Amino acid sequence: MDLCIRIAGEAGQGVQTTGNLLVEAFASAGLHVFATQSYMSRIRGGLNWFDVRIADRELLSGREKSDLLVALHSDALHALRGEAADGGLVLFDGEAEGDALSVPFSKTAKELTGATQAANTVAAGTVFALLGYDLDLLCDYLAVLFKKKGKEVIESNVRCARRGAELAGERAGTVKAPKSGTAPKDVHNGSEAVGLAAATAGVKFVASYPMTPSTGVFTFLAGVADTYGIVVEQAEDEIAAINMICGAAYAGVPAMTTTSGGGFALMCEGLSLAGMLELPAFIMLSQRPGPATGLPTRTGQEDLRFAIHAGHGEFPRALFAPGTPAQAYELTRRALETAHKFQTPVIFLIDQFLADLQTGTPALDATYRPIDRHVVADPAPDYVRYAVTKDGVSPRALPGSGPFVVCDSDEHTEDGHITEDLGVRVALQDKRMAKLNGLRAEAMPPEPHGPEGAGTLLVAWGSTYGPCREAVDILNAGGGSVAMAHFAQVWPLNAESARPIIERAGTKRVVVVEGNGGGQFASMLREAGVLDDCECLPKYDGMPFTGEWIAERIGR
Amino acid sequence: MITEWPGKQPAWCPGCGNFSILKTLDRVIDESGIDRSRLVLVSGIGQAAKLPHYTRANVFNGLHGRALPAATGIKLANHKLEVVITSGDGDMYGEGGNHLIHAIRRNIGVKVFVHNNQVYGLTKGQASPTSDPGFVTKIQTQGVILQALNPLALAIVEDCSFVARTFAGAPDHMRKMMAEALKHTGGFALVDILQPCVSFNTVNTHKWYRERVRPVGDSHDPLDRGRALELAFRWGEEIPIGIIYRGKRPSFESRLPALAAKTLCEQFAGA
Repeated sequence: MDLCIRIAGEAGQGVQTTGNLLVEAFASAGLHVFATQSYMSRIRGGLNWFDVRIADRELLSGREKSDLLVALHSDALHALRGEAADGGLVLFDGEAEGDALSVPFSKTAKELTGATQAANTVAAGTVFALLGYDLDLLCDYLAVLFKKKGKEVIESNVRCARRGAELAGERAGTVKAPKSGTAPKDVHNGSEAVGLAAATAGVKFVASYPMTPSTGVFTFLAGVADTYGIVVEQAEDEIAAINMICGAAYAGVPAMTTTSGGGFALMCEGLSLAGMLELPAFIMLSQRPGPATGLPTRTGQEDLRFAIHAGHGEFPRALFAPGTPAQAYELTRRALETAHKFQTPVIFLIDQFLADLQTGTPALDATYRPIDRHVVADPAPDYVRYAVTKDGVSPRALPGSGPFVVCDSDEHTEDGHITEDLGVRVALQDKRMAKLNGLRAEAMPPEPHGPEGAGTLLVAWGSTYGPCREAVDILNAGGGSVAMAHFAQVWPLNAESARPIIERAGTKRVVVVEGNGGGQFASMLREAGVLDDCECLPKYDGMPFTGEWIAERIGR
Repeated sequence: MITEWPGKQPAWCPGCGNFSILKTLDRVIDESGIDRSRLVLVSGIGQAAKLPHYTRANVFNGLHGRALPAATGIKLANHKLEVVITSGDGDMYGEGGNHLIHAIRRNIGVKVFVHNNQVYGLTKGQASPTSDPGFVTKIQTQGVILQALNPLALAIVEDCSFVARTFAGAPDHMRKMMAEALKHTGGFALVDILQPCVSFNTVNTHKWYRERVRPVGDSHDPLDRGRALELAFRWGEEIPIGIIYRGKRPSFESRLPALAAKTLCEQFAGA
């Protein structure tokens, strides 16, 4: 049993509030929840919608069509009624139109509270009643949500929810809905997962310039700054942000920045600096479609090649791309550890879909567990920062700990001073690039899913994980023979460990599913010798993949 | 194969004002009793930005124009470090101009010494943000048309906590200004050091500056913002040098609750 509820309206109408209300209330009922948001780059007006999908089994993706559309505005009704599933119900906060049922959410809210603001609570009450759920669950959550606003606000919202339930009338309990269950009650989005993992791993300094869809992580970290002792600074621009974190990393604290494609473009010189100075800079890059300003509030996976090649000159780096909020939490920590172990920048690739999606997640550990910075505590007086070693990793000391720690963006000698000695140049460049061997040896192999010997193998990276898994299940349930492999680390690639997992399926058909038009990851896999030939399933319309969308195209 | 590359000696032209600045800075550091192991010299790119390599200190020689954000990150990670920037007019007022505007607003506790020779040296003689109008170069062939940037006025308008100007040809005066800047505990300090460029600036020569610089008298009150601004606008026949302005805002790092008890570095390790 699987149901998709779509709340739609103008920006500023409380679409997100209603969605969040439902997500939390459903999760508290032990239902599996998966919520995605689609919003426009504006603060008022336009068309925003919030999908809340609920089921009695694990959910990993959104759906294409809604079973229950709640339109708070006529534009939303007209734009989205065609996206309602056959037999789906459409509720409209206005005059009845066609098959859309008129439900006076705003009018009811105004009657009860004197303002239309609480229309979203009325709507949530109606939805709860239609689905036949215990309204107390919603009322309990309203008490939590409005706790800070006081008893009166809670009571008036509860009244709105109850009246909303009455508006369902005879239809109450007629929409088939999954039964309450034992799904995780904690709901997290990707942004929170990255932020919490960074804070608990010991990130002490964050410098960013706000940019959708990366701002969620920045905001989360500002919110927990006092709890964990973090300085969160809004830099004057992205160039300042990356250089600030380079300075902080040099001085000894794990430091990060959050950005999206355009901001990352401005950071490229600083990224190269982190490579040259061998600093553990952590860059969270939340992707949206480009080029240029592109679609600011939409999703995509277009910056993979860019992130791998960004920065002038050659230097080692690692790129992680988690598939779910839970994996984002685990990998943020791993990425920070990798950056420190190899003293080199690490880029963490998410996207609007993963940043904003909300799903039930096993409780994330909020205890402070600092990572190993791999720092020499008592450096000898003859310490030099860039000692040539076999694995390329030089002992790292911090300024203020005794001997001078010297670093230079110019080519430098082992003691960090500027040089134009071309012999030293080659020795130091070889040293830096040697770290790539260690990074490659530690590269995470792809995670397989589905039957061995399947006829078709889907290859996914980053946030495409969930939709691909659902596609595999849909196709196999329909008699198909499909498996998948998901890459959560996309650079460096290790053909030796990756190839057996790709070949495990013994498959003839490999389809790389990714959110760009150029088959970026597919070409990287071929280049790295991970696979020979493949098809591509591209998507670059700004909307996230769904299991249904992939299954329909693979099954054709 | 070449095995002996030159490199240990300063890469400056003979007669360059940078030698005097380096010598004076070294002396001031020693006289001020700063523990060099806790001193970080931060620079960007340019001839002035090479200075940290020619003395004894921790060094962060980063990117062109980006000394300030790097220094800000260093100071916030470990505010017990003394962070000093050595930069040129191109590095600080041109490429890094946006950071200067915001670092002064932030009032981060770093000391900025700008070797201002009104010309680009390392790229061979183009106009800098402080080149006077009419200054002819191989790029500005008809002479500079742009208005010169007035770094002191800019800093005063932003209520910078310490604003001074000195001249590389007046080592005693320079020594006093540097010492005062290092002593300053109230946040951001800007010291604009007028400096001849013997290779690319044949207008603003040593003699040109020497004939024009005038120390501000004891009667000048650096807390008087109106008077400070008036002094900052003097340029040409007479160029005031000295502590021009002192703002009274607390430093950025002193206002961050996260840094009240310990440095971020100390907090990371749970010390």
